[in-house]
Amino acid sequence: MNPWPLRTLCCLCVLDASAQAQAPTFSAKVEAVRVDALVTDRGQPVLGLSVADFEVFDNGVPQQVDLVSYEQIPLNVVLALDMSESVAGDRLRHLRTAGGTLLSALKKEDQAALVTFSHVVTLAAPLTQDVAAVREALGRAVGVGTTALTDGAYAGLIVGESDVGRALLIVFSDGLDTVSWLTPEIVIDTAKRSDVVVYAVAVGSGKPEFLRELTSLTGGRLFEVAKTADLSAIFLEVLQEFRQRYLISYTPSGVAKDGWHRLDVRVKRRGTVKARPGYLAGS
Amino acid sequence: MRRAVLAVVLVLAGSGSGLAQGTDLRMTRVEQWLKAVMDHEPGTTDQAAVQVASWSAQDIRTLWVDANVIALLMRDPRKSGFSVKAEHQSTSQPIRYPTVQLRRIQALACAAAGILTHPACIEIRAAASLDADLLRLSNLAAASRLAGDDNFLLRRGALLHADIAMLMPDSGEPVSMSGLQAGPQRIRIHTADGMALGFVELAPHWEFGRMLLGFVRPPGGSNPAPGSDDMVRLWYRSTAAWMQAREQHDTDHLDHARTIFPNDADILFLSACQHEVYAGSPMQSAMRTMPVPTGMLSDFASDRAELHKAESFFRRAIAANPGMSEAHLRYGRVLFGLERYADAINELHTALASIEDDDQRYYGEVFLGAAEAARRNVEAARQAYGRAAQLRPQAQSPRIALSELARRSGDRGGALRQLQMVFDLPASGTELTDPWWRYYVVQARNADDLLEALRRPFRHEP
Repeated sequence: MNPWPLRTLCCLCVLDASAQAQAPTFSAKVEAVRVDALVTDRGQPVLGLSVADFEVFDNGVPQQVDLVSYEQIPLNVVLALDMSESVAGDRLRHLRTAGGTLLSALKKEDQAALVTFSHVVTLAAPLTQDVAAVREALGRAVGVGTTALTDGAYAGLIVGESDVGRALLIVFSDGLDTVSWLTPEIVIDTAKRSDVVVYAVAVGSGKPEFLRELTSLTGGRLFEVAKTADLSAIFLEVLQEFRQRYLISYTPSGVAKDGWHRLDVRVKRRGTVKARPGYLAGS
Repeated sequence: MRRAVLAVVLVLAGSGSGLAQGTDLRMTRVEQWLKAVMDHEPGTTDQAAVQVASWSAQDIRTLWVDANVIALLMRDPRKSGFSVKAEHQSTSQPIRYPTVQLRRIQALACAAAGILTHPACIEIRAAASLDADLLRLSNLAAASRLAGDDNFLLRRGALLHADIAMLMPDSGEPVSMSGLQAGPQRIRIHTADGMALGFVELAPHWEFGRMLLGFVRPPGGSNPAPGSDDMVRLWYRSTAAWMQAREQHDTDHLDHARTIFPNDADILFLSACQHEVYAGSPMQSAMRTMPVPTGMLSDFASDRAELHKAESFFRRAIAANPGMSEAHLRYGRVLFGLERYADAINELHTALASIEDDDQRYYGEVFLGAAEAARRNVEAARQAYGRAAQLRPQAQSPRIALSELARRSGDRGGALRQLQMVFDLPASGTELTDPWWRYYVVQARNADDLLEALRRPFRHEP
């Protein structure tokens, strides 16, 4: 994950009024890290937590938590949907219905985007608050060709982090990758640098190892289903779960800048925390 | 884009024993087969091909045994004891015929070889037992022998069975697991979209063709020597290329070809490509979803093991023909896959120095970009991907690669800009605008030309 430029501190040194025009300005970017965390107790979300309730360890070093927000920041929901040839008939209908259900459940300040992938990766609808446009794009999508799953997931990640807000990427696929240029390892690496949370739905008898790793590394969840009849319920469950997550931010201190940072998020009261296991900084 | 359907041959782990019970029908089928071989117009789905294609897998397996015996008798018409061994069977199977059937198959072999005047054929009064069509077959075979080629039936039989395998749709039959049959068994796995869909048993037409050509002998020779025969070489080259072009993968075919032509650069190249395909994500994905039935062995290995096999064959192909630039190109990609990045870059530069075709240059540049990126030479990688994007502006892969390079460097804006260029490409639908999407079949783009060259000398005069 790339540290998120949460705050930009600008120092303006004012010498005197007459010198303002030539006054040197210095800017320093303080890079903060954002972590989406779901806190549950016996399966039920724990609500109402504040900064004081969280402990964050970055590579084992305790960090000062700056901010915890809940349901305050609009969502960027990116749907990255497999539109290969096998997505047809009932499966396509269920997918459209599920997408439509999810879009209807968004708040007016939320944004949504639609990425589709077969062998071709397409931005069918860019991030927008106009959910009708996204719904329309979903209605036009048809299954054709083979499956560039990793390329499609990569595009979803990049679109997800292209705007401020909390990014949720939902990947749907009913097949395994056959034509992507990017390897799973490279996309996993991108996900480690990103703060997008990935949920995925894998349909069929394949072993979705890539999606399992992608969702696990970003703190999301993989749903493996045999049929798509309940897809709407799954999409809604994903959205609801994501809304119940806390967004925690902190400015790393006492740790090396680059490389893999192991993250451990805890709560001081009873509860289980689900969050990304770490992030990758530097090139 | 058409849906990729791959077919793989599994190897039976056990060996068959015994032979299906023979009847008059069996000899009738042998006669029909001989006539079909004679009449078939290569490259067509004529009546002869339709007839043979209509026979079941079990019929063809039994016929394979009888054709094997015919081939043995053509070389030695006095022979009366036979044993045959199918590919992958560990021991030979003794074949015994009732006396009446033995006489009949001897007579048919006399016709097939065009040796009705051979003392052994005269002894059994072969000519008198043949109808006009079989006599015509005998005349054609004799004329071919007099012209210097004593392989009339063998060559035409191989062409017929190859045509049936290539041109006649075969939906297959449920797999017979009895293991009690002699003759080869061919199992096909259908895959699509990276998933294994199921198994079917096919008639073993490719095995049939290979068996027949194994008996080819040179002019004046007394023993089979297919390795010195140009038509046999072209049969293997063209049919192996066809299999790869149509994603009908069959490792046995090239294994067999290499046994006969161990130093043929084209066959080594296709062998390497075969394993490169097996190492690729479409096949690896499919194989991970494929439960191998009890009693069968898959000859399919992990991606890394397949890359090692490909590396070995590419190295041999290049040794046999150092000027084969496409082999250098693919060898470079395989070396990249094996994480030998410096070697990969050298090989790719060698390839790019001599390649003129734009698609091939595109491959060279994107692979070079990947290898340079793996060595963290970001600028060199960016330039290589940029050249690829210039060569094929409609291709999405170099743009996605450039986006990822930017993202890796922390340049989110750059990553998005490159991706936006992908999104701005015209929707290609079914059109394959990115050569990367054809990479696993493009090595066999000359398959149709090779097949035409193979068939042309055998076409009947108008």
